[in-house]
Amino acid sequence: MSAPNFNRREMLTAGVLVGSAAALDATDRAQARSISGDVPWQEGQANKPDIAKPGTYLFLTAAEAACLDAALSRLIPKDELGPGAKEAGVTFFLDRQLAGPYGEASHWYMQGPWKKGEPTQGYQSRMTPAELYRAAIKAIDAHSGDKYSGKTFSQLTAAQQDEILKGLEKGDIDLKTVDAKSFFTMFLQNTMEGFFSDPLYGGNRDMVGWKLIGFPGARYDYRPYVKKHGQKLALEPVGITGRPAWKPA
Amino acid sequence: MMKIFSPFGAAGLAVAGLLASGSAQAVDSSFSNIRHGKELVDAGDCVSCHTQQDGGKKFAGGRAVETPFGTIYSPNITPDPETGIGGWSDAQFYQAMHHGIRPDGKRLYPAFPYPYFTKLTRDDVSAIRAYLNTVPAVKSPPRAANLTWPLNHRVFMRGWNMLFFTPGTFKPDPNKSAEWNRGAYLVEGAGHCGACHTPKNFLGADKTSQALAGGAIQDWFAPKISGDLHDGTGAWSVDDIVAYLKTGRNKFSGATGLMAEVVANSTSKLSDADLHAIATYVKTMKPEKNPPPAPPQARMDDPKMKAGAAVFADSCSACHGGDGKGTPGLFPPLAGNANVQQHDPATVIRVILDGARTVATDAKPTTSAMPAYNWKLKDDEIAAVASYVRNAWGNHAPPVDPGQVKAMRENLREDHASGS
Ligand code: HEC
Ligand code: HEC
Ligand code: HEC
Repeated sequence: MSAPNFNRREMLTAGVLVGSAAALDATDRAQARSISGDVPWQEGQANKPDIAKPGTYLFLTAAEAACLDAALSRLIPKDELGPGAKEAGVTFFLDRQLAGPYGEASHWYMQGPWKKGEPTQGYQSRMTPAELYRAAIKAIDAHSGDKYSGKTFSQLTAAQQDEILKGLEKGDIDLKTVDAKSFFTMFLQNTMEGFFSDPLYGGNRDMVGWKLIGFPGARYDYRPYVKKHGQKLALEPVGITGRPAWKPA
Repeated sequence: MMKIFSPFGAAGLAVAGLLASGSAQAVDSSFSNIRHGKELVDAGDCVSCHTQQDGGKKFAGGRAVETPFGTIYSPNITPDPETGIGGWSDAQFYQAMHHGIRPDGKRLYPAFPYPYFTKLTRDDVSAIRAYLNTVPAVKSPPRAANLTWPLNHRVFMRGWNMLFFTPGTFKPDPNKSAEWNRGAYLVEGAGHCGACHTPKNFLGADKTSQALAGGAIQDWFAPKISGDLHDGTGAWSVDDIVAYLKTGRNKFSGATGLMAEVVANSTSKLSDADLHAIATYVKTMKPEKNPPPAPPQARMDDPKMKAGAAVFADSCSACHGGDGKGTPGLFPPLAGNANVQQHDPATVIRVILDGARTVATDAKPTTSAMPAYNWKLKDDEIAAVASYVRNAWGNHAPPVDPGQVKAMRENLREDHASGS
């Protein structure tokens, strides 16, 4: 076990690189900045989130989408409690994330030194999330083909799929080109994000994730409810861009 | 005790003596006269219109003044002899301010509020000139106006003036107090409040019978400020009006948009006595009759109102309160708010689309702001929430149609693209 020996100099360079990368794409995304004098405000301007535009997949191929549909249906399956990750549009959410800044790891430090990190240090691969997904899906389909006479992952039975997913989670399966465990960790995390994040990012369709757990959504003001101790409020969830009740019938 | 009656304040009396002597007067360039001129230039807000936004040189002109008939660019009124008014005689300056006629005989457009400035006394106009003579001269040639027929012909203004313009110095009403007369002089004269707050006829002239009853201007609606309880300042005390004009806000409302500029450049610089006079005068402008409380103009079970209530609860209530009472001084109450209840919903729609920020003044330097919803709320959702705030909590005003929101959205897009 070797302690990471990042020295101060490297840290400083890293800071500069991150700083200049941020400056280059500061146009639309929220960035930390210092403010003096009046709080900046401009008529008609808003610090708005990137709303996922509907349409065909931007990053995933049809085959990749089929593999993800199948895999995330096992992580959050459709059942008697309601729709699952696939029905909630999580594949679409992942597509938009992988096609955007997250897929490019544009806000991460992605230079050397390349040391094997500790588990507590999180994701340590040289691959961007987009590269990781692309390589992992290919390797998973190859692995199921080897094992189940040429079938892709999406063509397997639920039990066979679960077995592969467990193998990835434990790191028992060697995907050769990518680290199975790193991929599984990221994929599980992203699936939960897609299922529970605001619908404007493309997942959590009809706020099914929020309805499942009783989360009331992006509400601004809870003052009317503070005194209602122990009462069931049954608030309809609301997304950043609204809820059905906003539409005049 | 003898009461000295002067609507124009002490300074007006002081210079009167100087002028009694003869007709061919030189401009009195004493310090007190220049200071008096500066006060009038503040009251007249000359700087707002005669300075380009975003760092233009003061009084050098070039600011686009939008009118329903096209764009007029303000001229340079610095003492530069070639491109400004340095070469004008005092009489020529008075002719422009009092009659709206340039030295070359051409008629000026009333985008320059001379139909108000005509009320100024000769002495006060001279004091304005005395002050303008002291500002740095800037070379900045005038820009031609961009107007539609028939107003693009200055000669047309001769007919306009015959129809709608009566030059004439303010005549005090001897039955009213000195303070009231001072207020009337400022509101009807230098302050030109009616230029925005009085409704206009189809040729852009004031409907004088409806003074200060509210007017549409540059995609805002300057609300009724006469004393109507429903949609005027009827509920405001004289001190409330003074606080609004001096600090930019009070417990009823805050100044934003065009009024923010008026407060920042003009009313916040006036003396307390003058503000008190303005408020006293405005308060006495009673509506013909204060209508009895009326029912809302949209019912709560109307689908549009239900949708509006949902948008309001989720997006607006945190600041304006579920009961519409706001946090006075920080987030204005919408219940009983005159801006919200004008028959013309321009300000309401505009503020929801573009957001708003209360003006910062020396007295209240910390501003509060409302975010823009143009990216998030659709036309029908904005129409719904606008209709709701106009008819909830005892408010009543015509509901808003999605088509009105669409039109305002397009206007604002053009305004922002052209930088105005
Ligand atoms: C609402 C905007 C506005 C305000 C306030 C305003 N002006 Fe102007 N002014 C204009 C415009 C626009 C013109 C040009 C009109 C035209 O081209 O016919 C003008 C023209 C003039 C002219 C004629 C100049 C020339 O070269 O023709 C003078 C003098 C003048 N203004 C002085 C003043 C003074 C003094 C004040 C303050 C007491 C003032 N203005 C306030 C908009 C304004
Ligand atoms: C973050 C707080 C905040 C939120 C949220 C907010 N507002 Fe405002 N609103 C303000 C402030 C501050 C002003 C005052 C601007 C001014 O000085 O006129 C204002 C002004 C207004 C005005 C003009 C009132 C006046 O007196 O000039 C209207 C109408 C209005 N808001 C409606 C809404 C509606 C409808 C929503 C929801 C879609 C909303 N506001 C959400 C803070 C907020
Ligand atoms: C350039 C146009 C313009 C001029 C000139 C102007 N106003 Fe306004 N005024 C507005 C607009 C637009 C609003 C409403 C927008 C807002 O919420 O701030 C407003 C709002 C107000 C309000 C608040 C009313 C309410 O119910 O919230 C008062 C009071 C007022 N003006 C008084 C005056 C007085 C007094 C003068 C003259 C000294 C004046 N205004 C000159 C455009 C103008």
